[in-house]
Amino acid sequence: MTARGAGLPASADVVIVGAGIAGLALARALVARGVTDVVIVDRGYPGGGATGRNVARIRGMQLTEELTRIALAAQATYDRMGEELGFNVLFYRMGYAWLLYEAAEVERMRGIVDMHHRMGVRSRLLDPDDTLRLLPVLRGGEPVAGAVLHDRDAIVHHDAVVWAHLEHLARTPVRIALGTEVMGIDRAGATVSGVQTTAGTIATRAVVNATDGWSAGLSALAGVRVPNRPLRREVLVTAPLRRTLEAAVTFYRPQEGWFNQTLRGEVVMGVVDQDEPAAVNQASSAAFLRRTARVITAKAPTLADLTVIRQWAGMYDVTPDHQPLVGPTAQLAGWWQLNGWSGRGMLLAPLSAELLAGWIARGADAPAPDMLAGFLPDRFPPDADAAHDDADYYARYARRA
Amino acid sequence: MTARRLPAPLHPGVERGSLVRIRFDGRTIRAPEGEPLAVSLFAAGIPILSRSFRFHRPRGLMCADGQCGWCECEVDGRPSVRTCRVPVRDGLRAGGEHALPAVRRDLLGLLDLGSRWIPPTFYHHRFLRPRRLRKRYLDVLRWFGGRGRLRVDHGRAIPRPRPVERLATDVLVVGGGPAGILAALGAADAGARVLLLEAEPRLGSTWAWREPFHRDLLTLKEALAASGVDVRTSTTAIGVYRTTVTALGPETQLEIEARTVVAATGAREALPLVPGNDLPGVMGARTVEWLVRRHGVVPGERAVLVGAGAAGMQAETALEAAGSRIVSRLEAGAIARILGSTAVRGVRPTQGPTIAADLVVVADRSPALELPLAAGATLEWSPTGLRPAAEPDGRTSVPWLWVAGSAAGRGSTDADPEAARAVGRAAAAGPVAVEALTSTSSGALRSAAPPGQPGRRGAMVCFCEDVRVDELDAELRSGTTHPELLKRRTGALTGPCQGKLCLSAFAACVAAGTDDAVAPPTSRPPLRPVRLGDLVAEDAG
Repeated sequence: MTARGAGLPASADVVIVGAGIAGLALARALVARGVTDVVIVDRGYPGGGATGRNVARIRGMQLTEELTRIALAAQATYDRMGEELGFNVLFYRMGYAWLLYEAAEVERMRGIVDMHHRMGVRSRLLDPDDTLRLLPVLRGGEPVAGAVLHDRDAIVHHDAVVWAHLEHLARTPVRIALGTEVMGIDRAGATVSGVQTTAGTIATRAVVNATDGWSAGLSALAGVRVPNRPLRREVLVTAPLRRTLEAAVTFYRPQEGWFNQTLRGEVVMGVVDQDEPAAVNQASSAAFLRRTARVITAKAPTLADLTVIRQWAGMYDVTPDHQPLVGPTAQLAGWWQLNGWSGRGMLLAPLSAELLAGWIARGADAPAPDMLAGFLPDRFPPDADAAHDDADYYARYARRA
Repeated sequence: MTARRLPAPLHPGVERGSLVRIRFDGRTIRAPEGEPLAVSLFAAGIPILSRSFRFHRPRGLMCADGQCGWCECEVDGRPSVRTCRVPVRDGLRAGGEHALPAVRRDLLGLLDLGSRWIPPTFYHHRFLRPRRLRKRYLDVLRWFGGRGRLRVDHGRAIPRPRPVERLATDVLVVGGGPAGILAALGAADAGARVLLLEAEPRLGSTWAWREPFHRDLLTLKEALAASGVDVRTSTTAIGVYRTTVTALGPETQLEIEARTVVAATGAREALPLVPGNDLPGVMGARTVEWLVRRHGVVPGERAVLVGAGAAGMQAETALEAAGSRIVSRLEAGAIARILGSTAVRGVRPTQGPTIAADLVVVADRSPALELPLAAGATLEWSPTGLRPAAEPDGRTSVPWLWVAGSAAGRGSTDADPEAARAVGRAAAAGPVAVEALTSTSSGALRSAAPPGQPGRRGAMVCFCEDVRVDELDAELRSGTTHPELLKRRTGALTGPCQGKLCLSAFAACVAAGTDDAVAPPTSRPPLRPVRLGDLVAEDAG
């Protein structure tokens, strides 16, 4: 199943670059549609990029109607995944809360909660007292203005998701070549004709770029321009604690941060650096420890007694509108994008992969699936620049709300 | 295992503090003020201080160096505190964690009897049906997880940020034991500006109480005072981040830019890979010597000495002076099993009759690897495990990193003090290549085959996550040979000690199960566990 480079086939119907959640889920979905001559190549190991480095929060409630609709469908794919694959991915509806620190945030959230209710999402706007009852760790911290809680939002175990897919794919003809790096893309005119790797060349008419943080580089190798921007995100984890935190938490004021407890009891957390430069960079930093310790303990002072045992970094692949790139591009026939997750890869990749598999099976000329309408790669002109983020998190979504 | 107190510590000039009252799990204990809490509990007849994460195996005092985590208890409401680092003071309240009802007798210890049916992958194909119970199953799993308890009901004050102190130096020496002091003196003699960090309040490590070296230490300390070396005690290096080393001092956080770094971070117990290797009563030789000499606590009457390390001789001398006996000396490979259920009862050798004993003294030590790994240094195999690949002058594969003393894995400073001084002189000459101090966080492995035989079935490899030799073997046989995947699938190396005790053993198991020369998994910062509140510092961006 996981041959290390040697034994690459001379040709394949579809070559998927990247053995993360996107690539693995796509291979599974292609096989389900009868496309079985599939090769996945990855220069590292399965789930070695963002898939193994994120904290796998599967959040249905979102800031816009469009994203909420897609996120609910994406969450449902995880709810089914365990039974479909016969492998427990530890999908657990822990609940999710946005913590609000300003009166203006509370006002803004009233409208968003109304939107959620119209869509059948039973989110609740909590007052400060109820917020402290839900999350007693906030006692003694900066005064909270309220929270939006959605009980049915979930976490999964990111590694279990990878193993579930690997075990499933081992029963299919899909081949996975690890330790195999892509060195070039062969073109015949305006069409893909092959993939050159460190273990040889595979002739193919369809290549899927499922490399997220590294996707802009791979697209460039194929002569395809994208506005994706790789952005580092850091995480720290503490020694395990008995069940203490009842919802996964995110806040945006004064700067974006988050924390939650895993099923094993560890607390994972991070606070975002608004000035993080765009680059592929998986190095940890001391500034992250200081920033996270300062911001999180100011909000939840009891967490100061937790012991940090490990930190790491992973990549986001950010597009100008914070929505992924999924589908073919007019720049190069046979080149399919499945990247640009902008921090939502774990959530959106399995659903997007299912939709994309159907599209690949039908051919690029077939109409785009409805749910991918906002994700089409050619929504940006080929010469689009990677836009810089609004410093205000909400403003990124306000345009579309 | 029966601890007893001597009238006074063996080491001359050490006096116990006056007796104060502390409480542990509801029991009142009188203990000398200032003594490490783990020692007081152990001496009061409490050999089991914690329970392991998965199978609730009993664990006690082992490394006494803040590394193994086997002595973690709740202390004054703070969860999972390493009690070997906590000085006793009047009114202190501590208690065991992660046990039902108490660590002394923990009903959940029954899990250990069924441990072979609960591999780390046990949930993969379970708990999916019936669907309506799926969340309940995970609620139950969640109940079994966790460890310490966080008291959240009353909140607490927001921690005050520490100032960040930025320092520049020619040579940074990490570790103020004898090797570190000598390396610092060597570098200062060569004209370099030197900064010396020591995590403990006092310099000297073992030389502070070891015969006859404590007299040499006094001379070294005088030389240090005259040398101009900037000495920072109670200061712990927590990470190597690209061009800087970050450390935590008593009142500040330090960001240190150094031209070269000398790792004099010592060594750890290399526990034999046999069943029972985690029982209370299995102790580092250094711990035994320290208990007797520094604290006047005798950890057992009949001891089996494992391994040929020099620390063993020191432990033996101390035990004999205290009236205990070494009843047998064995190489790790000659042990079939360490016997006992909640404490060491004896040792079964591979040949010959069972030896009755209440203490297993582990003399084999293996260098502390986290700093070399964080710097991206190449490793190699030595007779007692992995060590940094280094030249005789201590230079590693990283142009700015040297290793000195037992951190080099080439013998102790006791035997050859001048070697450590020479490392300091070499490091003072500056980086070997003109290259910025940049960590790559990926250690390569120079040689493929580890020496010695693989571990025995049932032996614990990773103590934090209770991962046994046979569990690693099963995963390797099923095709999980990539060390990163093996780590994630078994949980080995991911616990609170972050591989400090088990990295070598893990790598040896991988090497025995695959044909490739496999580098150990990525080592991640921080170098030591750090309290989140202690990381709060001023310049956060």
